[in-house]
Amino acid sequence: MRGRIFRAIVLKEFYHIWRDPQTLMIILLLPLLMLILYGYAITLEMRNIETIVVDRDHSPASRAFLEQIEAVDFFRIVARDIDDNDLETVFQQRLASCVIIIPARFERRLRENFSTPVQVIIDATDPNAANYINNYLSQISTRYNFSYNPLIPVTFNITPRLLYNPDMKSSFFFVPGLVAVILLLISTLLTSIAIVREKEMGTMEQILVSPVHPFQIILGKVIPYVLIGYGISVMILVVAHYLFNVPVVGSLWMLNLSLVLYILSGLSIGLFISTITNKQQIAMMATLMATILPTVMMSGFIFPISSMPLPLQWVSDIVPATHFLIIIRGVMLKGTGLHELWPQTAILLGMSVFLLGLSTRKFKSTLE
Amino acid sequence: MKRIYYLVRKEFRQILREPAYIGILFIMPVVQIILLGYAITTDVKNIKVGIVDLDQSPMSERLVEAYTRNNSFIYYGSTDDERVLIRWLDDGRISLGMVIPLHFQRDLINGRQPDVQMVLDGVDGNSAGVVAAYAAQVTVALQKEWLPKVPPLQKKAAALHITTIEPRMWYNPDLKSVNNIVPGIIATLLTMVTLLVTAMSIVREKELGTLEQLMVTPLRKGELMIGKIIPFEIAGFLLVNVSILAAGWIFGIWIVGSVWTLYLMSLIFSLSTLGVGILTSTMARTQQQAMFIAWFFMVFSLLLSGFFIPIKNMPDIIQGLTYLNPMRYFMVVIREIYLKGTPLEFLWKEGVAMLTFGVASFVLATVRFSKRIG
Repeated sequence: MRGRIFRAIVLKEFYHIWRDPQTLMIILLLPLLMLILYGYAITLEMRNIETIVVDRDHSPASRAFLEQIEAVDFFRIVARDIDDNDLETVFQQRLASCVIIIPARFERRLRENFSTPVQVIIDATDPNAANYINNYLSQISTRYNFSYNPLIPVTFNITPRLLYNPDMKSSFFFVPGLVAVILLLISTLLTSIAIVREKEMGTMEQILVSPVHPFQIILGKVIPYVLIGYGISVMILVVAHYLFNVPVVGSLWMLNLSLVLYILSGLSIGLFISTITNKQQIAMMATLMATILPTVMMSGFIFPISSMPLPLQWVSDIVPATHFLIIIRGVMLKGTGLHELWPQTAILLGMSVFLLGLSTRKFKSTLE
Repeated sequence: MKRIYYLVRKEFRQILREPAYIGILFIMPVVQIILLGYAITTDVKNIKVGIVDLDQSPMSERLVEAYTRNNSFIYYGSTDDERVLIRWLDDGRISLGMVIPLHFQRDLINGRQPDVQMVLDGVDGNSAGVVAAYAAQVTVALQKEWLPKVPPLQKKAAALHITTIEPRMWYNPDLKSVNNIVPGIIATLLTMVTLLVTAMSIVREKELGTLEQLMVTPLRKGELMIGKIIPFEIAGFLLVNVSILAAGWIFGIWIVGSVWTLYLMSLIFSLSTLGVGILTSTMARTQQQAMFIAWFFMVFSLLLSGFFIPIKNMPDIIQGLTYLNPMRYFMVVIREIYLKGTPLEFLWKEGVAMLTFGVASFVLATVRFSKRIG
């Protein structure tokens, strides 16, 4: 008797979704659109940096130095030999990100002295970009030094060795994170569809009078959306793999498990929020939104967690996406499996169970 | 004219009656600025370093010391097994591993230039790059320190002529990412609040049926629009001020440029987001739908606004798309005013773009409005 009603609840949800083609379109197309758009957009690799060069020496040496800069795609020379007074306005008009100034008597100073500085003024409003530019210029300076001097003695060599992702493609890092963000959006979207539709149609009461345990009602509502969410996640992972060449080095089984658990956790959060904000739509939406921002900003998606102050690192520990990202990056890029990733897996499962349990309790109390 | 005044007064009464609005306008911005201002940082700090020292000599110890007795690096531990080091990297327990070979000191003094391996996790390419750059700085200092101890190389060193790069970092000399992020947060808050609040407000009227009541009054469509815009512009303006104060008091980040220019630009910007909000509400039937559409627009515009990913890095096609995003312009404007003190004369293009958006969306909304009701 109980089993039949349970199955009926699950099937009912599926029918509801099927009969709403608009929503169906949105939940299928939107994730794809986001993946493609942001997969291409989110990159920290810089290019075409607008640069101004000021050559105060006009000597073979200075020209050789500038040639090194012009030879790379990274810098795009937009102007030359501007006036000192114009520097401020150049930056305020955003005509260039950096100005390279080769001092007067550069060649002579180079010949006579140990080291000769080349001045570079960088717009540091984006400190990340500024560092990047500075490092790149240091490399060019080193290259020039090697060409100017017969041999540069170093006492020891430092050889960098990059594990995984040796080409340092930022898409390998971002795309799994993007998957996490998109799935969270979809989960919260799905939950509110589920709950609100019920309330709008007033069928809530009908379910409540049936002889089913509240936990079964909750579970019956969640399962169809877990399956839909899972389907969507597989879809975007396939696209991610073929479009962005993100590898899947580890176990597919582990990958699928983590997807299901993550979607479940997203749905549990949404469900829980909806059970505690019965009356106010605003409150529910606002709180749902409150889950989006931490997921994007504090889960390690873009910004490293280790750089955050300690209390905020604790906050990121309760964001499901944080743990999911460790799993998905580990499985896809490093080939780690359940053996190493069981803590994160356990946390995701625990969160879902906890929240679903709380929702059931809340639900039961509204019955009485 | 007087009709608009009454309409504005009604809106304010509605706002004040809804405590959620007060929370959204005053408390949430401060909380978000605190939370995000501290959390979001592209600075790479607290880099944990693991060591494999196969030489255990005074020089290798000096090397370890140089890398760990440093502001950016934290010593995590040593092991004599490279595989353990790699496992530490995998688990995220360290971000940098150093492997010092056997006979390091001996080879160094004899001028044989031994190789020290710097092992990095390449998954987060950006952080790996930054870690490598910091490590390189330590290396340079060490090279200078040890050169006198290596006679075979010293003569060659004396004959060197090298160039160095002397960077001058303008507008943010300490290279703190928080200076860049906080104005961005303010822009995000303004967008969020203006978008959502307008979309919800009109749809709420639709749901409650009060919209039809407004329609039978002698109010014209244009006046209705203006009556909705003014209170929300004021709310947005208040929000900007609260945010500016919060940013200043909490992070010590104050506006370098002209506050008035910022006020003007935020008023224009809110106009464009209010326009989109109202346009959204003409498309939605329920408050929930309105919130979703506004929400999706927000997420799209946030990631394409230049907030955390510079627009210049994006492929050209996508850069083209960002021109349709009003938030992109405001992001530029607020950062320019906050950090560089850029005057209005260099920001007018962005202002015009935002204004065009505002006007276009209002016109569109007005047109849709009449089609639905009338």
